[in-house]
Amino acid sequence: MSKQEKGNINEKIAALNEYLEWFNGDDFTLEQSIEKYNEAKKLADEIQANLAELKNEITVVEKRFDTDTES
Amino acid sequence: MEHQSSLNPIFSVSDFIASVNQTFEYAYPVVDVVGEVMSFKVNQGKFVFFDLKDSGGSIGCFMTVWQLRTPIEDGMKVVVRATAKLTQWGKFSLTVQSVRPSGAGSIKKSYELLKQKLEREGLFAPERKRLLPQMPHHIAVVSSTAAAGYADFVKIVGDRWGGLQIDVAHTQVQGQDAADQMIRAIRYFNEQETLAEVLVLVRGGGSADDLSCFNDERLVREIAASRIPTLVGVGHEVDETLAEFAADVRAATPSNAAQIIVPDKREIVADTQHVVALIAEKIYARIDEISAQVAVALLGLGRLCVQNYEHTVERVAAMGSVLSAYNPTAVLQRGYAIVRGAATIGSQITITTYSNEITAEVQHVEARKG
Repeated sequence: MSKQEKGNINEKIAALNEYLEWFNGDDFTLEQSIEKYNEAKKLADEIQANLAELKNEITVVEKRFDTDTES
Repeated sequence: MEHQSSLNPIFSVSDFIASVNQTFEYAYPVVDVVGEVMSFKVNQGKFVFFDLKDSGGSIGCFMTVWQLRTPIEDGMKVVVRATAKLTQWGKFSLTVQSVRPSGAGSIKKSYELLKQKLEREGLFAPERKRLLPQMPHHIAVVSSTAAAGYADFVKIVGDRWGGLQIDVAHTQVQGQDAADQMIRAIRYFNEQETLAEVLVLVRGGGSADDLSCFNDERLVREIAASRIPTLVGVGHEVDETLAEFAADVRAATPSNAAQIIVPDKREIVADTQHVVALIAEKIYARIDEISAQVAVALLGLGRLCVQNYEHTVERVAAMGSVLSAYNPTAVLQRGYAIVRGAATIGSQITITTYSNEITAEVQHVEARKG
């Protein structure tokens, strides 16, 4: 996964917390709440799916460190 | 070199010294010698002299201060890596390339001496410590890829998080050359155009001697000077190395380093589910709140209806009483009578009492007085 996609996960987590803030704030209305809830639930599911797909990319650098030479 | 008839070569003094040194170089290109340090001294702040001895002998040793990477003092048991040399004055000595303490007592003593020195310099001061990023994308690892500690680290990082770019510098993590290799690896990562966000040094458990390279003064300084924030996890929880103290963040073990460096995706998932559950609770709470408000309003309306009904009933009852008072039958019942007809003598009148209807003739009429 690229840095941009990873950034999206962080952004999604931040967005999810914004939903929670909306529900805790003065703008909260019952009329809008169901729609907001469905959006938050979708976001949470996406985060879960993205996290399940993530794999690390390990690269052993070619340079040797047993001598002072540049290689 | 001259030759006598006996075939024994005759050397000049300097040739013989050179020949002996050549023999030493051939026989012992590099030699490791263990012994106890005696008569340790530093001349002009540059040159280090000491004797290495055991119960059966003593050898003079020479090295530069720069090569002395761990503090030593008289009485400490050390292993020196050196070349043997006969000086131009005919004195045999070891030219030391490196020295490391040997045995638990000496390792501990050397560790304490260096720790005090670096502490005085402020190398371990809390105010020097930098925070690690919460969710790094790119990390650099210095370790032996064959070491169990490295395998633990990689496995736990993989279990906890993904999407990381992990660059690994394979180095020795114990032995004479380990510190230098790790120093080169740290420099390599610090010289890259795009820096990693965290530099991790990990190594699993081992003896005090195995871990002693992490107390190397130059390695400790290299870690402290790293541009990249550092995380060091060496040995088991009880092990302490100076490399860990110099790091921005110290991990108890390589596994602990993995736990520190990345969040656990299972926790993130649980957190997101918790947020969704909290949001649902907020909706239910608001519905309960509005329902309660409606119930209170209905209760008020009910009370008003009852009050109005009772008030009306009372008014009707009052009006009934008034009407009762005007009822003619009630008046007749009290003994009064209703007289109808003309009040003239000889005319007939009708008298109604409570119980009778009487017809009578008027015999006398007189105006009332007063």
